[in-house]
Amino acid sequence: MREISTQVVVIGGGATGVGILRDLSMRGIPALLLEQGDLAHGTSSRFHGLLHSGGRYAVKDDKAAQECIEENTILKTIAAHCIEDTYGWFVFLKGDDPNYLELWLQGCDQVGIPVREVPLEEGFRLEPLLTRQATRIFEVPDATVDGFKLLWSNVKSAEKYGGTYQTYCKVQSLWLENGRVIGVYAEELITGETLRVRSEIVVNAAGPWSAEIAAMAGFNVDVLKDKGSLLVFNQRLFNRVINRLRVPGDGDIFVPHQTVTVFGTTSHTVELPDDHQVDEQDITYLIELGQNLLEGIEQQRIVRSFAGIRPLYESVEDQDQEGRGVSRNFVIIDHQKMDGVQGLVSILGGKLTTYRLMAEKVSDWVAAKLGVDTACRTAEEPLLNEQPAEVWDKARQLIGVAAANKMMERLNEQAGAVVEAIARQPLLGQFVCECEMVTQAEVIHALQDPAVNSLDDLRRQTRLGMGTCQGAYCSYRATPMIQEAFGGWERTVKEYRLLLAERWRGITPVLWGEQLRESELARALFLNVLDLKAEESEG
Amino acid sequence: MDSRDELAARLDACQKCNMCTAQCPVAKVNPRFIGPKGLGPDMERFRKGQINLDETTLDDCSNCKTCELTCPSGVKITEMILGARRAASKARHKNTMGLRLGLRGYILGRNEYLGKLGVIWPTLTNQVLKIKLVRLALDKTLSISKNGPLPAYGKPLKIQPDKVGIGTNTNKQVVYFPGCYTRFNEGDTGRILIRLLEHLGYKTIVPDFHCCGLPLEANGQFGKADKNGRYNLELMRPYLEAGIPVITSCTSCGLTLKEDYPKLETRSAQLIGAQAYDLFEFLWQLHEKGELPLDFQEVRASYGYHPPCHLKAQGIGTPALRILGLIPGVKIRNIDAGCCGLSGSYGFKAEKYEKAMKIGSGLFEAINVGSQHGDFQSMTTECGVCKVQIVHGTGIPTEHPVHILAKAYRLID
Repeated sequence: MREISTQVVVIGGGATGVGILRDLSMRGIPALLLEQGDLAHGTSSRFHGLLHSGGRYAVKDDKAAQECIEENTILKTIAAHCIEDTYGWFVFLKGDDPNYLELWLQGCDQVGIPVREVPLEEGFRLEPLLTRQATRIFEVPDATVDGFKLLWSNVKSAEKYGGTYQTYCKVQSLWLENGRVIGVYAEELITGETLRVRSEIVVNAAGPWSAEIAAMAGFNVDVLKDKGSLLVFNQRLFNRVINRLRVPGDGDIFVPHQTVTVFGTTSHTVELPDDHQVDEQDITYLIELGQNLLEGIEQQRIVRSFAGIRPLYESVEDQDQEGRGVSRNFVIIDHQKMDGVQGLVSILGGKLTTYRLMAEKVSDWVAAKLGVDTACRTAEEPLLNEQPAEVWDKARQLIGVAAANKMMERLNEQAGAVVEAIARQPLLGQFVCECEMVTQAEVIHALQDPAVNSLDDLRRQTRLGMGTCQGAYCSYRATPMIQEAFGGWERTVKEYRLLLAERWRGITPVLWGEQLRESELARALFLNVLDLKAEESEG
Repeated sequence: MDSRDELAARLDACQKCNMCTAQCPVAKVNPRFIGPKGLGPDMERFRKGQINLDETTLDDCSNCKTCELTCPSGVKITEMILGARRAASKARHKNTMGLRLGLRGYILGRNEYLGKLGVIWPTLTNQVLKIKLVRLALDKTLSISKNGPLPAYGKPLKIQPDKVGIGTNTNKQVVYFPGCYTRFNEGDTGRILIRLLEHLGYKTIVPDFHCCGLPLEANGQFGKADKNGRYNLELMRPYLEAGIPVITSCTSCGLTLKEDYPKLETRSAQLIGAQAYDLFEFLWQLHEKGELPLDFQEVRASYGYHPPCHLKAQGIGTPALRILGLIPGVKIRNIDAGCCGLSGSYGFKAEKYEKAMKIGSGLFEAINVGSQHGDFQSMTTECGVCKVQIVHGTGIPTEHPVHILAKAYRLID
């Protein structure tokens, strides 16, 4: 058993967890983050990719709305590289409730969400696919956010301030002594070794797994696991976030996310924190709902479906509510007050848009406990360091403007090394992943990162396999590199099977039309070119 | 479906199979070129939202349209690339290099005016263009390659306006769209074509057309290209409305008339697609109706035939090969060894010249081998600039197939 000690253990490598790690590290508090999988493998990568303006909550949940608009403004400054400032529209349709419209305008006004009415003609010109049933359009500062990039930026920044993290390290139990949590026991999943970490405070930021963590100390926290399913369309159908202006419900948000469109969601309470299976009924249901905002939606090609779990906090007042009725606020539970045990705090509820604020509040609590009076600086200090102009210029010259921009945003400080590698050997500038324009040099660079233990990790870091081909072409193109990094063909095949199983899980529910055609081609590639066996590829 | 939806649907149709890139003549010689899939559908996804206006790699595409011909899913790849260039052309000229290339685009796109100037005193122009110092100056100032095979000027083809009016006998009239190359560089081909049609009983009308617009488009001069298209369509309008076909002898002009003109929003734009014919396509139709006289004299000659990319892109097969095959004595071999590399004006550009020669090298080799084996003595191809490039790359004499047919009809020696 390995033993280490630190001041704070943060459980959970989602947006909240990495936000806390960064915040604590910036205040000079030593902290270690433990994550059972890879960073962002849960809710933080299984969402719309929407940076809320608060408009969605303006009527029912003014506190959540207020937090959203404040954080929206902050994140657009400190995390500009992770955000595309698309703006969002709330579209009022013929026959929708005019009373709600009035309440919505008032709500936005009260919490300070800037609203501009867009003339219909301008609306249809800018978004030609928008339904002609729209009668009024309002623009708010919604935006889109890349969850992976945001998380990685937080972690990289935290590391600079001395913060540490360990992925594939699953907390098995809390270390309790004399009514006090003094650390955790965890299993390092790759080596199978047990790790004991001694700490003064344990922060439970495990999202949908929070209840499981609290239960290790025998406590009950009320986390409602609310599954939302989403569809990914093959291209950008809209260039702005499109919301339906009505009581928030299912299937009423389209988000243009990089080169695709994400549309959702649904809402079902589930038992398991990793129930990511999309039901076929939900897909039919979503497509039907999508017609309201985009007529002929069934003609548009869908590349995959996915689902995420919202870890909603069910307060006493919310007890009778189902998913949509539950507040999107977050809450900090001090288990000393609640259960009489010191050294453990849980952060529950909230949204990705408010992750920084959640982290700030938790870190304030932790700092107070530890007697540290350094103030929070995460609202001011940018996540990305500007890279020298020479590196940018060289990157653009070597691999083109679009690819260079993408790469620089992903790699930031590490971009220099990759650019140098391409300059030395220009063919390393060829794309392994054509959908996301990821070069051979970047893949090699990522494979050398100790945090990359699987093809799936590689995917999250580089976006390889995340594009519209869904790994069909890039993964086999990366074979020689993967084989070298993972030591041999057997392991490579295993990795392919895991990656493809996950990709196929998302693809199979939407397998028709052009997507079916392409999937057949992909299947042939893996069966024939790479000689995978059919029974294996079924995963 | 409006055109936006249609393009969106075609983007959805892309299976990312990369067959287009495998067939792309430019990608074959330049491993750093991301190829038609990359420049077309892949980048199109990014362009739809996060537009990258100053993407210089767009110029690597030679506009040969092999990708569109290859695509098993009907994706309009070149069209996407041209669309992106159209957007990019509005954001250029930010530095001296941009300005120079912009000026070069302006000049190379205006082969029509160059032609009008060149034919004022062709021998003088040709002599001047042969002076090494002049070519060096063009290279240094405008990045027009000093080695590129700039075509020579000759006696221009006269226009033949329609003096008597359309009249009633519309089925024995054709409008001829000669194109700049035939008009200013190789007037003979045009004159022979008119004699040949006359021999077949057709009256040929040659209105004073402007350049079809393809060279303008390929050089980023989109506004002017559209303007030319609308001008030419207006000249064609009465004939189109009377059901008179429009004949081309240049495969690039032909492709533009068939593919680009229908997109211009005028009434005649709706007609041109169905009424534009490549000369040999037209003749083959006559043959199928039994209206093509077969009283050929024997022509004892052997030819290698090069199918131009823009003929392939028309999707009409190789009608010239079929017609020439009817002539007794003619031995003709389809070389079909890929793009010649010149692709309009691509090979005239200083930074593209080497690439263009490399692209054409496969064709040159096939021609050299064939002629050394005695398979043929000379070459024939419909496209004027392919011809120029073949002569430049192999030194083998090359002529338009209409010359061979005219010999068979005893119209020329």
